[in-house]
Amino acid sequence: MSVLDEIEAAIPRLRRAARALARDTAAADDLVQDSLERALLRRSHWRGDGPVAAWIWKIMLNLHRDGLRRTADHLVVVSGAAEPADTGGAATDHLALTEVQAAMARLPVDQRQALVLVAIEGQSLKEAAAILGVPEGTLVSRLGRARASLRVMTGRGGPGERKGRAG
Amino acid sequence: MDAIPEDDLIRYHAGEGGSAERAALARRLQSDPEARALLAEWDRQDAELGAAFAGVLGEPLPMEMRQALIAARTEDRAGARARMALPLRLAGAVALLLLGAAGGYLAGHQPPAGTTGARFAENALIAHATYVTEVVHPVEVGAAEAEHLTQWLSKRLGHPIKAPDFASAGFRLIGGRLLPADTGPAAMFMYEDGAGHRVTLYAAPGTGTGDTAFRFIERGNAQGFYWIDGALSYAVAGDIPRETLRAIAVAAYDQLI
Repeated sequence: MSVLDEIEAAIPRLRRAARALARDTAAADDLVQDSLERALLRRSHWRGDGPVAAWIWKIMLNLHRDGLRRTADHLVVVSGAAEPADTGGAATDHLALTEVQAAMARLPVDQRQALVLVAIEGQSLKEAAAILGVPEGTLVSRLGRARASLRVMTGRGGPGERKGRAG
Repeated sequence: MDAIPEDDLIRYHAGEGGSAERAALARRLQSDPEARALLAEWDRQDAELGAAFAGVLGEPLPMEMRQALIAARTEDRAGARARMALPLRLAGAVALLLLGAAGGYLAGHQPPAGTTGARFAENALIAHATYVTEVVHPVEVGAAEAEHLTQWLSKRLGHPIKAPDFASAGFRLIGGRLLPADTGPAAMFMYEDGAGHRVTLYAAPGTGTGDTAFRFIERGNAQGFYWIDGALSYAVAGDIPRETLRAIAVAAYDQLI
């Protein structure tokens, strides 16, 4: 498979991740489009050190983080006191979907990216840590915080602390 | 026994650790209902996140992404022939610029007069303008005889060619005709939509200048996209919104490979 084929093959999953990272569908596709164009422009410099997919993921997550820095979206307050969801009722399934999307949007960017790679993409901790450029321990603690916040925001548990989470 | 540290649970949940390590943790989980509940909650989070965002996986790629890929592929094929690094990169820049131009910011831009590509595009637009207005004889061979049309034009062109399908853009094949061109016999296919708009696909033997990205040309009311791909040069022309025309050109490019 050529570099171009590998880039193309990665797009659907990049789009899925972007939906979970960006604030809306249009912003998500803009993010993927920007990442794609950047990868295509640089593909002739690709030296084959590592998987192409990891490289384009890195491009997208960096663009995402930089974009947030510019628009200051990351300053959105993430409150621990999210409204607990109404867990009764027949429409729970549908509610749960929009709820988890809303909850994702309120996570700090580092935690959101960690969750996207591990929980949605199913990457190993090693792969995800390499893409994010952080030590595995840092990734683990981000995941722990992300999962705890998500749990509170989807109304399934208090902010109870479990021991053994790295800082 | 101490509670299992959350970091260990996170690793376990992510499928990390050797089999012995995982078995040991699984044993400890039996006496830690709180940890088990946490793992179940994380499973549920993963399932919800998966379901919430999976829909996009099956969607076709947006036109803009497909165009970027097509431009890159065209460029790679041209580059493989030229085997020169600098022109390759320049071609990439040009391809992107032209896609931008197609988007409208260089509306009305004309290719440099006198180049073979420009001449080809001019010929395509002239042929388009000549025949789309025909009520009685727009084509020589109708779509009903599609197979004969394909064989005949392929034979005269000296290169296999078939009429691409533009149904996704709402256009159906009316038929085709043979035309004279600078470089030899040329083929034209004509399509029509429900509102009577017509577009043509024009193909003539290549000009030998190598593959190119899409280029845009405008002449009177008609506008077109043209490109060179291997042995043939192609042009799609029509008096329809540029976005629609571009979608048709992309469909043609995809199907004519």
